[in-house]
Amino acid sequence: MPLTRSKPKTKKHLSDNDYQMEQSLISSANLQAFFETLLQSGRIVVAPVLKQSGKVFFQPVQAYSEVATDYIQTAFSAKSVVFPKVETLFSFVRKDGEITLTDSLNRIPETVVWGLRPCDAAGFDYLTEFFLRENPDSYFKTRKEHTTLITFGCKEADNACFCTSVGLNPGNTTGSDILMTFMNEECYVEIMTEKGQQAVALAPSLFKASEVRQKDAFLAKPATRFSIDEIKDKIKHAYASAEWKQVSLGCFSCGACAFACPTCTCFDIQDEGTQDKGVRLRCWDACGFGMFTRHSSGHNPKNNQTERRRQRLMHKFNYSVDNLGIVSCVGCGRCIRVCPAHLNIFENILSVTKD
Amino acid sequence: MMKALQNKVTELFENGTITLMIGFRGVLDKFAIPVFITEVSQADQLIWTPACLNNLSVYLHKSEVKQVGKIGIIGNAGTLRSLLQLISENQLKELELTILTINEQNEVIVFASTEELEVYVQANCPAYNPEDQALVDKLNAMTREERWKYWTGQLSACVKCYACRAVCPMCYCSVCTVECNQPQWIKLSSETEGNLEWHIMRAMHLAGRCINCGECGRICPAGIPLQLLTVQMNQEIERAFGGKTGFSAKSGYALNTFKTEDKETFIR
Repeated sequence: MPLTRSKPKTKKHLSDNDYQMEQSLISSANLQAFFETLLQSGRIVVAPVLKQSGKVFFQPVQAYSEVATDYIQTAFSAKSVVFPKVETLFSFVRKDGEITLTDSLNRIPETVVWGLRPCDAAGFDYLTEFFLRENPDSYFKTRKEHTTLITFGCKEADNACFCTSVGLNPGNTTGSDILMTFMNEECYVEIMTEKGQQAVALAPSLFKASEVRQKDAFLAKPATRFSIDEIKDKIKHAYASAEWKQVSLGCFSCGACAFACPTCTCFDIQDEGTQDKGVRLRCWDACGFGMFTRHSSGHNPKNNQTERRRQRLMHKFNYSVDNLGIVSCVGCGRCIRVCPAHLNIFENILSVTKD
Repeated sequence: MMKALQNKVTELFENGTITLMIGFRGVLDKFAIPVFITEVSQADQLIWTPACLNNLSVYLHKSEVKQVGKIGIIGNAGTLRSLLQLISENQLKELELTILTINEQNEVIVFASTEELEVYVQANCPAYNPEDQALVDKLNAMTREERWKYWTGQLSACVKCYACRAVCPMCYCSVCTVECNQPQWIKLSSETEGNLEWHIMRAMHLAGRCINCGECGRICPAGIPLQLLTVQMNQEIERAFGGKTGFSAKSGYALNTFKTEDKETFIR
């Protein structure tokens, strides 16, 4: 029997609001003007930027010219916008026996993430479920409320992409506030939420109304590696599979997969400073690390890489289904591209669920 | 050549020389993935292409691998040099190891002895990658302020996934300093200052031990050219003490040896 603390409730996407979806068109030439309008509105705009290393990373930009357009996927996801790698929860000062706490939440700026992929947007949807479902996390909630997600459908996919295997596709709207799809010289715009509408309302003249269009012909067709319904069923019985050892032998025990992943949420709380002045921080953690589940006694229930790799894959395809009703892998393929040993998540999943 | 490798490995399995072969297999066109062959029937998975970049010697520290027994390993230049360095640091003593490579003439070589490996490495494996050397020279030509700006800029992108440590065959401490938390020597949070602390510590621990395989920089998810730190430190050690790492199984390393005739004039 899987351990389920509470019965999964009906999934309620943040994007499933009362907003009536709208469609419009923007010319490719006007995209830049829209981008600049967002910048001028005082919002922080986070977009993909090509670095000297040849990798593309999300980071705040000041001009449209900085934005990378020719890339399949960024090296890291954009989750750091709502779940930073290091987040100050509060700071404290002790003076003359008095302790003063300062909350860090009143400084969250209005932010637009530009250039997400549909899998990334779906990742934000999972994060929202994870952080807000049962015990709402005020830090995540505040950041998410101040974030608008502008996604671009994928024209190209590579061999690591497998969104269609986890029930998503290169044009899914899940999680996006706006989804743009390039169609020749125009961009088809699906405005999914009120936040999306507010962004468009900053420069309404750049957009013109459109009928509903078929996007498929303009989107990539990544290979489908498995049927998610079959996998969800089979993986329930995969815990004891002898294959876990083989699929994890190459694992180096680093945190690259978890830190690149749009849906990995593990964190570690750290205090830094002195007794008189310091901060409490929330830092990313990863199940690949040897310290991950080590108890203060020294005992570690996940004492080797086989158990830790199993934890990661079972969490994505089984535990999160039990807990939240969602497969928490969005098929972006980042963990495959970033892994120093190129461990392949879909290959591994197929190995441990084979009959 | 690939067939010759597969045949040789089959032979090694069949005559009982090895029970595990660590090599590469191909998948998803551009990647070569480390593979662990435990049955002779799997030997046909083995490939040898320019994409076989990983330094496989790091797996020899892994307990699951050590347990298997007689290990065969195929090495590119970096792997062969790190094997020599690991032997010199007494790290491979308890292993029954068969080391293979493929030379420039595409011939499979099985090294019969450590001496043979030394001869091959000295003749065929470069000490430094010329591209790394050019970048190090460029950094050394900068002013101190420019260099500081360069490295703080680069290291602010570090997320402390510790992949650099994980892929490094010379990072074999069973408990790393960053994992000591009473007290916490190195900040766990991944911000520029804590990132600098971590990478400075790593470079110092590898000074004169790093074999410049460049894996740390090659695999860094954040794209930071981390190998430049250890290449620079190695060259400092070379200038001060002479000798290059990873060319001899007996060299030890400069910061862990002493001679009675050392002048010690630096002690005041």
